Amino acid sequence: MSESEVAGSDIYLHTSVSFEKGKKYMVCAKSGHGKTSLLNFIYGCNRAFDGTIDYGMPVSDPFQLRHDKLSYLFQDLCLFSELTALENVRLKNNLTHFKSEAEMEALLAAVLPAEKKDQPVRTLSLGQRQRVAAVRALCQPFEFLLLDEPFSHIDRQNAQTLADLVCHEVDAQGAGLVVTALDAIDYFHFDTIWNL
Amino acid sequence: MEPVIRKLQRKTLVPAQIIGYALTILVGVTIVLLTFQLYADIKPALTSQTDVFKAHTVTVSKNVTLFKTANKEGVYFDQRELDRMQQQEFVKKVSKFTSSSFNVSASINLGNGHRMSTDLFFESVPDEYLDVQSDAWKWDSNSDFLPIVIPEDYLSLYNFGFAESQSLPVISQNTLSQVSFNILIEGNGRQRMFTSRIVGFSGKINSILVPEDFLMWANRKYGTASNDRCSRLLVEFTDASDERIPAYFEGSGLNINKTELETSKMVFVFRFALLFVFAIAAIIIVLSVAFIVMSLNLIVQKNRELFVNLYNIGYSPNQIARFYQRVVSAITVVDLLLSTVVALWIRKLYVVRLESLFTIEGGLLPIFFTALILCVLLLLVYNYLIRRMIRTTVAP
Repeated sequence: MSESEVAGSDIYLHTSVSFEKGKKYMVCAKSGHGKTSLLNFIYGCNRAFDGTIDYGMPVSDPFQLRHDKLSYLFQDLCLFSELTALENVRLKNNLTHFKSEAEMEALLAAVLPAEKKDQPVRTLSLGQRQRVAAVRALCQPFEFLLLDEPFSHIDRQNAQTLADLVCHEVDAQGAGLVVTALDAIDYFHFDTIWNL
Repeated sequence: MEPVIRKLQRKTLVPAQIIGYALTILVGVTIVLLTFQLYADIKPALTSQTDVFKAHTVTVSKNVTLFKTANKEGVYFDQRELDRMQQQEFVKKVSKFTSSSFNVSASINLGNGHRMSTDLFFESVPDEYLDVQSDAWKWDSNSDFLPIVIPEDYLSLYNFGFAESQSLPVISQNTLSQVSFNILIEGNGRQRMFTSRIVGFSGKINSILVPEDFLMWANRKYGTASNDRCSRLLVEFTDASDERIPAYFEGSGLNINKTELETSKMVFVFRFALLFVFAIAAIIIVLSVAFIVMSLNLIVQKNRELFVNLYNIGYSPNQIARFYQRVVSAITVVDLLLSTVVALWIRKLYVVRLESLFTIEGGLLPIFFTALILCVLLLLVYNYLIRRMIRTTVAP
């Protein structure tokens, strides 16, 4: 990107940016300005960057953080379309057995019509899929939750329900939250809003 | 409840490929196990393990003709003939027999005051040609013990001829080896008594053999004439199945004991046939291993997105690989067990037929050992490759 494009940025051209546990951050930017890349850098699934990321602990491979430090709602969701909604959530939960079967079903019930949880994900609408992926991201212990444009396909009412679920879980875990969006959103009470 | 990840991965397998692998490796391994077992079973019979005489070696003498009966000099080899023989390409080494030039008599006490004795002669060949345990084939001038090797035929003559006609018990090689008797050697007005025991039997040398250093020593001390004339040679071949050998000896008017050549040829053909079968079986195994590795590679390529997604949500490459490792390992282990059972069964069939020809003493170690080694080897290869494939796919 050219310098003029990033002149107004709160992150680019700064020597360092830090995210603190227990706080909520929003990263706001136009499409193509690198919101997803930023989260991918943090999550460790894109390593094409200069500089360093300090996780506040020795980390030889960021992959290790996925177990119980970082959880990520991918923009492209990364759901398994042949599996049902519940199975997708269970697949993630099996890594840590963080939630009970009943808790998982309750979370899904809050965001999906009841009959949808046992249907293959490929039969769900994009908005429903996004909510399944968000629920899945909640089913592990984490210190930071990364949500990449979590409400892009969801109507206002459903978005607020989902945001409340996320908030509840983040607060319960005492974790930090990083949300990206195209425009400012008001579903959360953010501590900091950054324009990328 | 089946773990969700297994449900996902089960769908990535292609049953036809797995069945194909299971069948081919079954055939390949069974044949390999059988070739090893067959080789171990038949080899002792072909190389006549009981013989103390080294393989690839024959005794050579001149043909005794009417003319030579009158002029005895004709049966001896001179140095020029030795050199000429040594120069042949297929000859590895030519050695002479040394014979005793003193009187020998053997006696055995039958109890109740009776004594049986007979005159004998001794010959010796370099120790390296004999396959007797070295501690049994030792002699030094202070020792009164003298080990000897006799022709197998002597015992056969007794067992199948004499004992049969006189209703006497037959004697095994083992029993005869336990009997000790006395040897008296005389010459130059001196004599000495030795205790002796038969330490080995030979089917190839028709002579009574003693350690070479004993014969040298005794010839010096008790021998009458200092003769190094020799009528019999030991010829060691590089390859006894060489076709030029019979032609050469026949052309030179020499006599060789042909059994060694025949057996060598048989062993050679047998070995070659087994090696050929083994090579084919090995190729089958290598191909089936390559086949399953390629199938797995294809599965990984086809399901790259699935594996990357699993990695993204926190499944480690090892966790992703585990399912495939288990499937391939289980199939391989079951297959190898099955191969072992089939090989044991086939062996049972051929043993029944072969046992009428010779005794099969060997155990089943070749089958079990080969199966075990193959199993360990294959599992190591598969588990390493599968992990590597997944790792390089999800986290390049």
